[in-house]
Amino acid sequence: MDVSLLLDNLRTPAILFFGLGVFAAVVRSDLALPQPIPKFLSVYLLMAIGLHGGVELMRSEIDTSVVLILLAAVGLSAATPLWSFFVLRLKLDVPNAAAMAATYGSISAVTFITATNFLDSLNSTDPAYTPGGYMVAAMALMESPAIVVGVLLARYFASPAKDSDSSSDPLPQEDRGKIDWGELLREAFFNGAVIVLVGSLLIGIAIDEKGWDSIQPFVYTPFKGVLCLFLLDMGLVAARRLSDLRRCGPSLIAFAILSAPLHASLGIAVAWLLGVGQGDALLLAVLAGSASYIAVPAAMRLAVPEANPGLYVTMSLAVTFPFNITVGIPLYLAIIEALWA
Amino acid sequence: MKPIKRMEIVIGTVHADRVIEALRSVGVTGYTVINGVSGSGDRGTRRIDGVSGAFENCMVISACDESLVDPAVKKIKPILKRFGGLCLVSDAQWIMH
Repeated sequence: MDVSLLLDNLRTPAILFFGLGVFAAVVRSDLALPQPIPKFLSVYLLMAIGLHGGVELMRSEIDTSVVLILLAAVGLSAATPLWSFFVLRLKLDVPNAAAMAATYGSISAVTFITATNFLDSLNSTDPAYTPGGYMVAAMALMESPAIVVGVLLARYFASPAKDSDSSSDPLPQEDRGKIDWGELLREAFFNGAVIVLVGSLLIGIAIDEKGWDSIQPFVYTPFKGVLCLFLLDMGLVAARRLSDLRRCGPSLIAFAILSAPLHASLGIAVAWLLGVGQGDALLLAVLAGSASYIAVPAAMRLAVPEANPGLYVTMSLAVTFPFNITVGIPLYLAIIEALWA
Repeated sequence: MKPIKRMEIVIGTVHADRVIEALRSVGVTGYTVINGVSGSGDRGTRRIDGVSGAFENCMVISACDESLVDPAVKKIKPILKRFGGLCLVSDAQWIMH
């Protein structure tokens, strides 16, 4: 791997602010963003990335290759929990394995946004490094399938007999099949992040260049500064969860680290097979290799409440997310450059 | 003042409606909800991270006649068993106004 890529990534303002957040939490600083602000920042980032993606889509043509990328993205999101579940079952009971499998099948929008920021910072004149707007659609499409698959796995494999040796109570027999699917699907497909992202994408497609010019000063120019502020908070949140790692054990930590490059490699392989550009390939790799900590926990708390969020959120937020934004993104790009050369 | 029972129920914010519905179904119509409750229990730590409201707990406080406590507990217990949480019942004095 080209070390300069790694250093370039670590020197981007957003990553440095993430590090600052981690440092502040480690030294127990009282630094904190007031509660509603991180939520506002995440809505802003999703809205900005959605609008920009929509505008790029409006400018480009949707052909067969785009449809194939979107289908591949959905496929990756639905398939990843399947093998993750069986690997995780070696260490976890059914509810926790299903929740974590769903977490690793779904995506992290912030990791995606950080990757787009990284691509932007490369200042490459090569159009292959400019991702298509449809990758935002891919991100939106990858949020939900893993949630549904994860819940189905939890329902199908829930059995008191199978879990008699587990550390937590299995799903009671009388509760099997009692899930409120309407509520779950609403949470999976209409949660706030998906609504803002898909809605902004559609608005981006609907507006013309004049409309984009009028809104650009708000959603484009301050974007990097807002991302820095958001990642500062994410650094604080991630580091404060580090104390929970003791309960997770080395096997789960290893899974959280190794699954990222493994799943990203699958994304890269799919991108290579489809013959997309390096920018799109990196974003697909990042989406495949990232893990959710917003959409999935909300759905799992509804559908698989027996699962311990102290496990699946800690793994996603305190291990996989920092790995991806510091080492993962440049690592995946190095692999892509080697393959595409 | 009138002697009553105070029920304090800590539950995930996403499940608060189930608890409120259970209380209503047995005739407990008055309640107060305090949002933004965090803590730790047998299902792990519930932090309010800001990035996701998924882990936010709330506290439902209700004052009711003693005769309504048992039916309310019968309704609430399965919810707590399934989704986790806490229910405390204690004696209180209601200042009538």
